[in-house]
Amino acid sequence: MADTGNLQSLAHSITAVASPFRSYLNELYDKYHPLNQGAVADYIPELALAKPEWFGICAVTVGGQSFEVGDCDQLFTIQSISKAFVYGLALEDHGRAYVNSKVSVEPTGEAFNSIALDENTNRPYNPMVNAGAIATADMIKGKSSTDRLKRILDMFQRYTGRELDINVPVFLSEKATGNRNRAMAYLMLNFGMVSERIEETLDLYFQQCSILVNARDLGMMAATLANGGVNPITKERAIDEHYVQDVISVMLTCGMYDYSGEWTYRVGIPAKSGVGGGITAVVPGKMGIGTFSPLLDAKGNSVRGIKVCEDLSKDFGLHLFNVAKAERNLEDWIESNNVTVDW
Amino acid sequence: MPKVISIHSYRGGTGKSNFTANLAATLALQGSRVAVVDTDVPSPGIHNIFSLEPEITNKTLNTYLWGQCAIEDAAYDVSANVGLVGEGKVFLVPASVKADDIAKILKDGYDVKRLNDGFRRLVKNLELDYLFIDTHPGLSKETFLSIALSHVLILILRPDKQDYQGTAVTVDVARQLKVRKMLLTINKVYSGLNFDILRQKIEETYGVPVAGIFPLSEDVVQLASEGVFCTRFPEHLISQEFRNVAGQIID
Repeated sequence: MADTGNLQSLAHSITAVASPFRSYLNELYDKYHPLNQGAVADYIPELALAKPEWFGICAVTVGGQSFEVGDCDQLFTIQSISKAFVYGLALEDHGRAYVNSKVSVEPTGEAFNSIALDENTNRPYNPMVNAGAIATADMIKGKSSTDRLKRILDMFQRYTGRELDINVPVFLSEKATGNRNRAMAYLMLNFGMVSERIEETLDLYFQQCSILVNARDLGMMAATLANGGVNPITKERAIDEHYVQDVISVMLTCGMYDYSGEWTYRVGIPAKSGVGGGITAVVPGKMGIGTFSPLLDAKGNSVRGIKVCEDLSKDFGLHLFNVAKAERNLEDWIESNNVTVDW
Repeated sequence: MPKVISIHSYRGGTGKSNFTANLAATLALQGSRVAVVDTDVPSPGIHNIFSLEPEITNKTLNTYLWGQCAIEDAAYDVSANVGLVGEGKVFLVPASVKADDIAKILKDGYDVKRLNDGFRRLVKNLELDYLFIDTHPGLSKETFLSIALSHVLILILRPDKQDYQGTAVTVDVARQLKVRKMLLTINKVYSGLNFDILRQKIEETYGVPVAGIFPLSEDVVQLASEGVFCTRFPEHLISQEFRNVAGQIID
């Protein structure tokens, strides 16, 4: 049989370019780029440097096709998005029972930085609020602080397929202004929910939030979860498949700060946002979506990112609980099958 | 719903640009809004057939690909040049004929995504019924793209061995790209050949329907790439064959 590997690979890349789904994403970009609502986070000076016009959308299918529009190379800090993934690593380190005993999975209507623990069990409410994320970071194993950080960075590399760095000025600013988080950590220490290496764990937490990613990384991370924990392009396993559902569940119930209930109702795609402007959204078994736009609404979620996910969910019926026939069939749009309305 | 038609030939000199212009004009004569994009950036030429002078076209496909204008700014209404009256329109997006522009695009390349986006924007913004993509002979990035996104691919060949071989290669590529509909057109056929036998033989060889057979025509040669034959001589046998091909695109 004749060798057709080159032809197939070129055909594959051209088909992705010609895919009506990429054009659909282009139109979303054009539709929401003019939207100038919201404000860039400015609680530390480094975040305030973000340009309001930055906007990138990346979707990666579980089959490894990648679609990008806009500023998908622009780096920004991952912030709270890291919480979901570090939670997965803690589960791998200790198993579900232990992790559950330290951090609950109950959504809270409180703000992400509230100083509140479950009154009966003294556990933080969930791993997506700061208290829960600090307790989760505390559980990450490692011989030293450097080793613990390296394990986190290695994990993100498995998800993204590339080596990631930390934005040191952001880390130092977060550390310098992080007294509220410090207070929470000590409160949890008082109840025996975290170990005594408080400063080390807080550093680790501030460092994990300062990891630099782009919209493509967020798309890839979500696609890896959607693909059962295996990066669809590098084929490397990023997380034990048994814990994928844990991570995705807390993303759905708690991932969008105190907008999570509304998000589940309207969009129904498990997602996690960060004040850097990123959103990573997991459509299980189908695709991952990464969006980046630093203009945030009052609850700390990216305004354009929410719009993009809303449209994708509505137009392709991606809501987890949708049973109605969607206006568009995702597979047809990606593979360019029988799409008659795309032109 | 709008249709995208790519016209391609493996080798040069098959009469591809002339064919494209005439087919576009035939559909416009029937009242359609049609645009032709000359993606033959290394050797543009179709603007001559539409009598579009390079001096007045300071915006071209190149300008668009370099991000210096919107694609519709590089689209020129050539309906009057073609002699169209009535509702039908023909727009042309020419490629630059300036040697330096050609050198630049060959040297630096361009983003094939932008070409794809341009096609789609053109269809929307000009409210087109048909978009024709005229390509450079042989296989290139823009050929692959145009085949991948078109609704109908028309391959033009002459009845000779080199064209037969090249067409087989292109048919393979088109199938790999999951082309939706493929048609063959045989051009410059000696009037001595039996057209029916030729059609049968070619359809059997490639497993692709032959949409039209055009004889080597002195009438067409006389126009020599200046003007569109179909609008000048609508009752000519050749113009009738174009209407026949157009009918198979509309289906």
